[in-house]
Amino acid sequence: MKEGLFSRAMLWLVFLFLLGPFVIVFLAGFSAGETLVFPPSSYSVRWIIEVLGSEEFQRAFRTSLEIGLLATVIALLLGVPVAYAMSRMPPPGMGAIKQILTSPLIIPAMLVGLGLLRHVVLLVDAPVFLGLLVGHIGLLTPYAVRVVYASLINLRVDIEEAAITLGASRAQTFFLIVLPNIRSAVIAAFFLAFVTSFNQVPVSLFLTGPGISTLPIEMLGHMENSFDPSIAALSTLLVLFTMAFVLATEKLLGISKYM
Amino acid sequence: MVAHDKKRLGILLVTPALIFTVVCFLLPVLALLVDAFRVGGPDSVDGAALHWGVDRFIAFFAEPLHRQVFLRTLRIAALVTLVSALLSYPAAQAIVRVSPRYRGMVLGMMILPLMVSPIARTYAWIVLFGRNGAINSVLLHLGLADEPQRLLFSEMAVFVGLLQLLLPLMLMSLVSSMENLSRDITLAASTLGANAWQVFTRVTLPLTQEGLIVGGTLVFTGCVTAYVTPALLGGPKVLMLETLLYQKVSVESDFGTANVIAVILVLMTLAVNAGLKRISSSRSSA
Amino acid sequence: MSYLELRQLALGYGKSNAAVEKLDLSVEQGELISLLGPSGCGKTTTMRAIAGLIDLRAGSITLDGRDIGRLPPNKRNIGMVFQSYALFPHLNVFDNVAFGLRLRKVDDKTLRAKVEKVIAAVGLSGFESRLPAQMSGGQQQRVALARAIVIEPKLLLLDEPLSNLDAKLRVQMRAELRRIQRELGITMLYVTHDQEEALALSDRIVVMNAGKIEQLDVPENLFNQPRTRFVANFMGFENIFDYRDGALQGRGDKLTFDAAVPAGTACMGWRPERVTVGIGVHSGTVLSRGFLGDAVEYLLQTPIGEVKGFADAKFASWREGDNVSFDLPAESALFLPA
Repeated sequence: MKEGLFSRAMLWLVFLFLLGPFVIVFLAGFSAGETLVFPPSSYSVRWIIEVLGSEEFQRAFRTSLEIGLLATVIALLLGVPVAYAMSRMPPPGMGAIKQILTSPLIIPAMLVGLGLLRHVVLLVDAPVFLGLLVGHIGLLTPYAVRVVYASLINLRVDIEEAAITLGASRAQTFFLIVLPNIRSAVIAAFFLAFVTSFNQVPVSLFLTGPGISTLPIEMLGHMENSFDPSIAALSTLLVLFTMAFVLATEKLLGISKYM
Repeated sequence: MVAHDKKRLGILLVTPALIFTVVCFLLPVLALLVDAFRVGGPDSVDGAALHWGVDRFIAFFAEPLHRQVFLRTLRIAALVTLVSALLSYPAAQAIVRVSPRYRGMVLGMMILPLMVSPIARTYAWIVLFGRNGAINSVLLHLGLADEPQRLLFSEMAVFVGLLQLLLPLMLMSLVSSMENLSRDITLAASTLGANAWQVFTRVTLPLTQEGLIVGGTLVFTGCVTAYVTPALLGGPKVLMLETLLYQKVSVESDFGTANVIAVILVLMTLAVNAGLKRISSSRSSA
Repeated sequence: MSYLELRQLALGYGKSNAAVEKLDLSVEQGELISLLGPSGCGKTTTMRAIAGLIDLRAGSITLDGRDIGRLPPNKRNIGMVFQSYALFPHLNVFDNVAFGLRLRKVDDKTLRAKVEKVIAAVGLSGFESRLPAQMSGGQQQRVALARAIVIEPKLLLLDEPLSNLDAKLRVQMRAELRRIQRELGITMLYVTHDQEEALALSDRIVVMNAGKIEQLDVPENLFNQPRTRFVANFMGFENIFDYRDGALQGRGDKLTFDAAVPAGTACMGWRPERVTVGIGVHSGTVLSRGFLGDAVEYLLQTPIGEVKGFADAKFASWREGDNVSFDLPAESALFLPA
C-alpha cells in the first residue's frame, strides 16, 4: 500500500508538471498588461482580440492550414498504397524499403529543411511554398503508413479473396471492401498528420521566406522582437484548437490505440 | 500468374512514396552530409585542390565554443533521459493500476501534450522563469531575493523545458511495457520475501527493459534534435547543436560548419537507434 | 471430357516446396465430390488453385470445356465458400449476397428478385438488414453460401465450411447443403478432414495424402474396401498389421492366421468394432479400458503390437493388467496388397 501511495503521488506530480504549464499559459494570455508579468495584475481579453485581428498571424494561419491540408492529403495518397502493399504483397527488399520510408522519423527535421533549401529550392529556383510543402509531405508520410498499416494487419485477408472470387478486380476490391473497413484508421492518420504538420517547426525554419510563413514560425519571430502577452494568447488559442481536435477524434475513433 | 502479379503490384504501390522520399528527403540531406567531407577547392584559404577529408571536423572541434556546445548537448540529453526515467517509472506503475474505466482518459491526458505545439508548451517556462515571471515574483515577495534572478537562458531552464517536452514519450513507452507485466509476477516475488525495492530492481526493471530502452532512445534523440525549446529557453548564450546550426546558417551564413554539425547530428541519431536495435535484438534472442 | 478436369497438376509454395504433384481428377457436372485428407495433404492447396488464388506450376485445369488455368480468379466464374465465411463486415446480409451480382451490373429488379430468392433458399428471409457481427456462426455460414450461389457459378468450392460450427449444427447444416446442392444441381468441390462428413455428403470422395491421390471412389467402397494402408487407417481400420507366411507380423513376433487369404496380400486390417474381446484364439494384456455405454473399448498389448477391440458391456469385467483373449475374425478382415 505504501508503494502504491508513492506511485500515485508521483503520477500527480508528473501530471502537474506536464499539464500545469498549459494553465499558466492560459492565465498569461488573459493578462491586461503591456508586458509579460506573472501572475498578471489584471485580466482582459485585449490580447486575444489583438491576436485574432493581426494580419500577419491570420496570413500565417492560413498558410499553415493550406500546407497542413495539402501535405496531409498527399501524404495519405502516397502512404496508404504503401501500407496496403506492406501488409498484403510485400515487394522484394521490403526490409530496406521500410528503412528508407521511415527515415524521415530518424533524420533530424532541421536538416531536411536545410537540405531542401540549398539543393532544391535554390538550385531550381522553386517557389518557397513548394519547398515547404515537399518538406512536410516527406515528414507526414511515415505517420500515414504506420497508422494505416496497424489497421490493415488486423483486417482479414479472406474477405478480399471472397470479393475476388465473386468477380471483383483488385482495384474494386480495394475501394469497395478494404477502404470502408480501414476508414477510421485513415481518418486517425489524417488528424495525426495534420496536427504534426501544423505544429511543425524545424522543417519550416529554413523554408519560409518573405510572405510565406507558417504560424509557429511567425510566432517565433514575434517572440524575438517583443515580450508581450500576445504569444501567450495565441498559444492558448492554439492549445484549445488542438485540444478540441484531439478530444473529438479520441472520442469518435480512439486514436491512442494507433500510436 | 497470381503470385507474379502480386509482386508487380506490390512494387508499383510503393514506388511513388519511395521515389518521393529518396528524391525529396534523402538526397538533399545526403548532399549536405557529403558536403561536410569536401575540403579545399578554389575558395579555400590555403588554395588546396578539392579533396575528401575530415579537416572540417577537426576544425570544428578545435574551437572551444563548439566543443562546449557538443558536450552540453550530450550532457543535457543524458540528464533529461535519466530524470524522465526516474519520474516515469512510479508514474507508469500508477497508471497501469488505474481502473480500465479511467485508463483511456489518463492516457489521453498523457498524449495531449504531444499534440500541442512545442512553442506553446515551452512558453509557459518563459512565463515562469522570466524576469517578471512567477518564480521571480514569489522570490521577491518572500524576500528571498533582492532583485529578479536570471533564470531564463540557462542550462537549467533548457533542462526543465526539454524534460517537460519529452517526458510523455518515456511515460507512454513504459506504460505499454508495464501493461504486459502481470501483477501476479510482482506479487509472487513479494511472497518469496522480496521488499519493494528488491521487487523493483530484480523483477520490474529487467522485465520492462525494452520499454526503458525505447523510451530512452526517443527522449535522447528528441533532446539532441530539439530546436524550439533550446532556442526559447537557452537563447544565444546557451546553445545546443541545433540552435548552433541555425545560427551558423541564418546569422553567419557559414554553410560549411552547418554541414559538419549536420553530420554530427545524423551520426548521433543513427548511433542511438542502432544501439537500440542491437540491444533489443540481442535480448530477444537471449 | 468431364465437366471439371484437372490434368497433371503441380502446385507448390516457395522455391522448392511441392504441395501437389501430378494430380489428375475428373468431376462430372452436378456431382458433389469431397477432397478428404489430413492437414497438409494438399486438398486446400488444390482447391485454391482451382479458384485461381494460387499459381499452377504445371498442368491444366479445364472447366466446361474452357481452359481456366491462366485466368485470374475474378474471371473464372467459380464460387467459393470460406472456412471463416469471409462476410464483408461493413455490409448487411442483402448487400453481401448482392455483391457479385452488382459487379456484373445486373439490373435492380432482377437483382432484388434473385437475392431474395436465394436468401429464402437458405432460410434467412427477414435477415436482410442484419450485419454479420449480429449473426451466429450458422447464420453467417448460410449467408456465405447464398452469396456464392446467387452468381450461378459453374463450380462451387467449399473449404471446410462447417468446421467452425458445433457438432449438432454441423450435422444440420450438412443436410441443408446436400439438399440445396441437389435442388440446384450445382457441381460442388468440398474440402474436409472429417471422414464422417465426407461419407455423408459426397457422390464420390478423393482421399489425398502428401500431395497425391490415394483413392478415388464412392463412399461405400471407400468405407468397406479401402485400397491402401493409409486410406484404411483414415477410414477407421485401426488394427493394421503386416502379413507373411500365414501369420500376422509385428514387433519381432507373430500371430498365426489360419484362414484363407487372397494371393498377394501383404497386410491386413480390422475395425475395432469387429475385434471381439473376451473370446478368441489370441490373448493379450489390457492396457486401458474405456466405457462407451453399450460396449467397452479395450486397448490390448499383444505380441505383435497394440490391438483395439470392443467387448459387450455386460461381460466386460477385465481391468488394466488383466490377461484376456481376443479374436481377429477372418470374415471382417481387410486384405491389402501393400
